[in-house]
Amino acid sequence: MAPVKRWTEEQVVAAAPDASSLTAARRLANPGPWADLGANDVLVWGRCQGSGKTPYQVSVDVLAPAYRCSCPSRKFPCKHALALLMLWSRGPDVVPEGEAADHAKEWAAQRAERTAQQQSRTLERAARPIDPEAQARRLAERVALMDDGLADFRLWLTDVVRAGLAAARNQPYSWWDTTAARLVDAQLPGLADQVRTMGSTVHSRSDWADHLLAGLGRWWLVTCAWRARETLDPDTEADLRVALGWSQPSAAVRERESIAGPWRVLGAHRTDDGRLQQQRTWLRGTAGPAEAEMLQVLDFAAYGEALATPQLPGTVVDADLARYPGRSPRRATFVSDVHPVAENPKLPSGTTITSAVAAAAAALAGSPWRDRHPAVLADVRVDADGWAVRDADGAVLGLVDDAPVWHALAVTGGAPADVFGEIEDGRFRPLTVALGGQVLAL
Amino acid sequence: MTVHEWLSDLRTSALVGTARRDAPPPPPVPGLRPRVQHAGREERLLELAALGDVLVRAGRRPAHQDAPLPTAPEETVPAAGDRASQLLTLLLLQPPMGKALRDELVVEWLTRAAQHPVHVPSPLLVPLLDLAAARPEVARALFPAAGERGRWLTGLNPAWAGLASATGSPPRDEELAAAWTTLPIREATEELGRLRAHDPAAARDLLSQTWDSLAARERRAHLGVLRVGLGPADEPLLELGLDDSAKSVRDEAASLLDLVPSSARATRMAARLRPLITRHGTLRRSLRVEVPDEPDPMAIRDGLAPPPRSGEPDRLGWLRTIVRGAPLTVWTELADGPPERAVAQLRDEPGVLQLIRQVVLLRRDATWAAALLEVEHDDALVTLLPPAEREQRILTAIETGTATEKLARLHAAVSGLPRPWGDVFAHRVLALLAGNDGGKAVHQLAPLLPSALPPGVLPAARAAIERLEPGDRRRDVLARVVQYHSFRHTLTEAFR
Repeated sequence: MAPVKRWTEEQVVAAAPDASSLTAARRLANPGPWADLGANDVLVWGRCQGSGKTPYQVSVDVLAPAYRCSCPSRKFPCKHALALLMLWSRGPDVVPEGEAADHAKEWAAQRAERTAQQQSRTLERAARPIDPEAQARRLAERVALMDDGLADFRLWLTDVVRAGLAAARNQPYSWWDTTAARLVDAQLPGLADQVRTMGSTVHSRSDWADHLLAGLGRWWLVTCAWRARETLDPDTEADLRVALGWSQPSAAVRERESIAGPWRVLGAHRTDDGRLQQQRTWLRGTAGPAEAEMLQVLDFAAYGEALATPQLPGTVVDADLARYPGRSPRRATFVSDVHPVAENPKLPSGTTITSAVAAAAAALAGSPWRDRHPAVLADVRVDADGWAVRDADGAVLGLVDDAPVWHALAVTGGAPADVFGEIEDGRFRPLTVALGGQVLAL
Repeated sequence: MTVHEWLSDLRTSALVGTARRDAPPPPPVPGLRPRVQHAGREERLLELAALGDVLVRAGRRPAHQDAPLPTAPEETVPAAGDRASQLLTLLLLQPPMGKALRDELVVEWLTRAAQHPVHVPSPLLVPLLDLAAARPEVARALFPAAGERGRWLTGLNPAWAGLASATGSPPRDEELAAAWTTLPIREATEELGRLRAHDPAAARDLLSQTWDSLAARERRAHLGVLRVGLGPADEPLLELGLDDSAKSVRDEAASLLDLVPSSARATRMAARLRPLITRHGTLRRSLRVEVPDEPDPMAIRDGLAPPPRSGEPDRLGWLRTIVRGAPLTVWTELADGPPERAVAQLRDEPGVLQLIRQVVLLRRDATWAAALLEVEHDDALVTLLPPAEREQRILTAIETGTATEKLARLHAAVSGLPRPWGDVFAHRVLALLAGNDGGKAVHQLAPLLPSALPPGVLPAARAAIERLEPGDRRRDVLARVVQYHSFRHTLTEAFR
């Protein structure tokens, strides 16, 4: 196993469940309250003097990552664990390498035991014969529920267009929410989310009529595809499932054939809507057929929980990946530990804006519900006035509202650079820039 | 019919609803053969909406632009090294100390970078400029360390506008001169203030040249700018101010000239003061001061209030104006000795001593402050003394009383003291803090301590940490002091 690099501060910050934990951790991230600090390849540990008499015992497994602290906080990881990681990230002067403290060793042993138990239970379960009849019955029940829900939704759609979009816009939010709730009951959470979002965007967008009309059309297409699902190829069916919000069981995905790395990390993006945090990491193989395909690894965490440690763009990581079914760009999941093995200070060769936009358009033919396409744009310059990027041919691609334009200008100085990002609803979100032998996350 | 016309047709039907208006037939796109479903009006519209959605999305073509885009000028100095960059990253993204100390260290980083000289690595510019936009003291130290790239960025993002001019590089004189007279009064005063801080003579010249064209309000506001860097060279303009038609301008000019004891007005005031001072006492060691008679027109020009048409004139007011305007040397000259002697000889004139005290504070005269302090302790006068003497006086003042009283007096006295403190003073404060009642004052002093305690007392601070009980707040406070110094040490090393 490659020695674990200490995390960067950004990685520690990214592990925090919320801003207040981070603030509290920063106050603790000085040697004052700490004793018996240490780290080895897997664990970081220390004792932190809190308000109580006994110092809290804090341990972090930086590979998993997993956190333990004897404090009563329900935040996870708590401020003590974050502060410990901050100190660790500052280097061996602050947290020296050494023999694990007893409380850290004990915890690691407990975890190992629990993992072993879990594995044996999983094995037992796997050994137990699956009841194919019960499984088929459950599936049939769900499909019937979805069938009814989608038939209901079709009726709602026809009602909307009969009365007209102007009438729909005058409806209160509860009207959209009721429809969404019925979709949730019919186990169609993907559609439900879209309907809820539409309930607010019809009031926030100036082009609301076109936006709503396109949305209605797309939903209609989903219901038609569902009715014809017997005739769909497996990849289209998988994309349809994503649109409906019918997730693929991750156990089934993990059982699919896994592909060995190493993988180049192209870029990552995080969102937080207050309820759910999401992290997308874009990867690409370094050799063989995997080199041609971009994959995205999605991580989710509820509010107050920590997302998986982000992988840094510009590195090459060693890990096994299993791919979800569906069309490119496919979703994938790590099925092994992830180890950074090298730096790769370049992005894959880029394309012009015109061909990137054309590729995104072509992808629609296969998957009309998908609206996010990764692209490496070659030699683009950032235009802050136009809130856009422009390539050597003078082709212009507008940027999403929250694009890190100033950061991009700071690192490029307005000079042309290769930029990796996502084309989303016709606009570009830059995520990574390659410049002067460096790959920088934006 | 184009696809766009078709879409707008479809939108119209959708807006009013199919109950009132049927959807148009499918669009005339070559190669597109939509399967016509034998369904109702609603279904048809929804199908066409799905088609329209895909047509719009698949039909997107990038626009073209060839207007030139701005490019940052080349940097003139190299980027900061890895270690220094790492420290700045830490300060900006994960500061291991409070905000005030963080700002101080960022300023120190920028100052050292400017001396080296190196520039801020470009990935840190956004957090740095954001910080500078919120913190004026960081903004002042921003350039040249933020480099050509930083200057270029401030010109692009409205949120950072003004950062480039917040530092010691105001617009060139000719540019300012051309634009200055057109500015609104407040901005004009601010601009002039910036120029004054950077180049006092240029600001004075600009004001002199435009003086006659300015309104009274402007003359008054702009004249106040001269308070920064005031000197004998400003005298001609201030004399002009004494002749001004507006009383507010005359008053401002007079109060500025009060601060220039070498001026002709000060000499005139001295001439008015001398005859008022007489010697008394058996040993003739006591000075008395009379109130003046009615001022002549020249004295009124110098700022003495004209005598009222009726009623008793404010003779004490005239005396105040004269004492404020006269050089302090009048007193030493008539006492025939150093300020201490003059102060001693004025013991029977407490009102005059109060006036002198005001003059000493205005002119920040350390020698006279020391002389007045011989008579009575005075916190305001202490601040005029050189740091070492100030610390000595504070130590003397806190010699008596309980530890709690000492610490309370200490807190009142040290807030304006230049940091770091001298070793002796710092050791004494540390001893008080680590002593029996120190826990009560540590809260108030904690924010000052990291930058106030010099590196020389660090061993004592470490020893104090060892001695204090775990859980004692003072341990944290002192640990922060130690941490701050080790950070500063690393910072110094990183720029070696």
